[in-house]
Amino acid sequence: MPEGIDPGGELGGWNGRTYYGRPQVKPAPFENSVVGSYVFLAGLSGAAQLLAGLLDLTRGPAAERTVRRGRLLSLLAPTIGSACLIFDLHTPKRFYNMLRVAKGTSPMSIGTWILMGFSGSSLLTTAAHLVSDRVPGLRWLRSVARVAQVPAAAAGAGLSTYTASLLSATSTPLWAAAPKGLAVRFGASAVASGAAALGLGERRSRTGRDLDSIAVAALAVELAATLASEERYRATGVDRALDSAAGKADQLAGTGFGVVLPLGLYTASLLLSRRRSRTLTTAAALAVLGGGLAMRIGVMAAGDESARRPEISMGFAQPENL
Amino acid sequence: MEMHPRVLDYTHSDLDGVIPDEAELTTGFRIVPGSSYGFFTDTTVCIGCKACEVACKEWNNLPADHLGLTGDSYDNTGALSANTWRHVNFIESAVRTDLEQPFQSGWLMMSDVCKHCHNAPCLEACPTGALFRTEFDTVVVQQDICNGCGYCVPACPFGVVDVSTLDGKAHKCTLCYDRLKGGLEPACAKACPTDSIQFGEISELHLRAHQRVTELQEAGVASAYLYGMPDGPGATGGLEHLNAFFLLTARPEVYNLPTAPTRPANRVVPSLAAGLAAVAGLALAAVAIFSRAQ
Repeated sequence: MPEGIDPGGELGGWNGRTYYGRPQVKPAPFENSVVGSYVFLAGLSGAAQLLAGLLDLTRGPAAERTVRRGRLLSLLAPTIGSACLIFDLHTPKRFYNMLRVAKGTSPMSIGTWILMGFSGSSLLTTAAHLVSDRVPGLRWLRSVARVAQVPAAAAGAGLSTYTASLLSATSTPLWAAAPKGLAVRFGASAVASGAAALGLGERRSRTGRDLDSIAVAALAVELAATLASEERYRATGVDRALDSAAGKADQLAGTGFGVVLPLGLYTASLLLSRRRSRTLTTAAALAVLGGGLAMRIGVMAAGDESARRPEISMGFAQPENL
Repeated sequence: MEMHPRVLDYTHSDLDGVIPDEAELTTGFRIVPGSSYGFFTDTTVCIGCKACEVACKEWNNLPADHLGLTGDSYDNTGALSANTWRHVNFIESAVRTDLEQPFQSGWLMMSDVCKHCHNAPCLEACPTGALFRTEFDTVVVQQDICNGCGYCVPACPFGVVDVSTLDGKAHKCTLCYDRLKGGLEPACAKACPTDSIQFGEISELHLRAHQRVTELQEAGVASAYLYGMPDGPGATGGLEHLNAFFLLTARPEVYNLPTAPTRPANRVVPSLAAGLAAVAGLALAAVAIFSRAQ
């Protein structure tokens, strides 16, 4: 019997032959636009809550309006995001079965509990914040919001990046090939989206410029992670999935329009004048948000393409990629 | 061929009920909870009759997937799916030359099935606990729990699990969980006319499989090897071993099997750690930016 992992020996190496070109693994039965929207909203909400919390702790009342907007943005994941997830189930009326177990080996289970924790703490933070603003006798609720924002921010950090782990912990070659790169990409894109969305309505120049700087840092990290991931895709041979329409959409809309373009616009706005350019930063923010959504959907669709093509999945499942 | 003495107790063709511990008559042993069971599929004796596919459909009441011809040799089943839990591959691998081939000429056939992995990725991915490990060390989807999230589908390194469009639940081979509970051998193994599919206790099957490989190699089939043995081809990357394993005579890819699959759960910690580190780093940068003097 041939020794080792590769049967090799008498049989030789793999010559690229597949079984009538039939898929060797099955693509995920997710509706990419729906689940991709959830991934985007989860990142946006998580990062908005995280940035709002950090702004509240560092600046306090001076950044009141921005913090409040961050709280409101954080409600996107518990509301529209959760609805997207339930809609995508093939038996939606049993959505509550997600709460039967907690499993460390399943990022979907980990994510369920992160989303539950985030929803609870975020709702509490937001409700306490808004009520304390409007009801004079309940000003003390502001300190409740200040305490609750800490777990909300921590869960927000998890919410903005666990979705990459969910994709990587599968046998879909493109998702499995660069687990760390994809996680950094998703996390950085989430922070960029949060900063961009908060910066959109920002009237105060100082907070606006701070948010723009954070967006620039996050976009730079995202770009680096994207390039590192593509290097890994080439090394493992799964880069062929990027030649598809979905892969091109990820590269052009996700990275070109969603990262490189706003990186230029934000940098121009920060360097060109002391005053913050509303036109440049609004265009940049919209590109970040649109590109973030396109990137999530593009990554999911390109992953499906890599699963459908047996030469990619079999090439990836070779001993040298272990 | 020896028969179990109890066979003589059941000589009539119409029986009043199920024979107690029927597996003892068909396989020679009783099925007991707490033992590890699986399949050893010896592809060298598969004749491509598809009796396993039919027996599986009959016992599990599974609908047809599609009618028609694929044009891919005699494989008109196509693939394992929510409604197809045994699938016979047909590979016309070589044109026969004037030399007599030592073995099976140019035909390869293999009855594919859920591998019931030791570290089953579908089970590890399932967020509802619908997928569970039974008392027979097999992996089964509980139909009354599954909510059709579909995460087990991309988790499987072998493309086995599928969500049904008919009922919105995940389905796959149960290794005849209901039959095992009733003391019966799984339907496909019982129906297999050449014993290409052998059902049994894992350590016993391992011994039998090693013997068979030795026997084949002595007979001149140097290419015979096992797929799915502990840390061998098919059970790499943390899968450890496959409870349904195969004897093959060509590379795994020829049979639509991956040579070196991995356990997806091994990627959870690295990716979560990398993502959280990136967000934490950017949060620290945000604190520094927010705290800058005006």
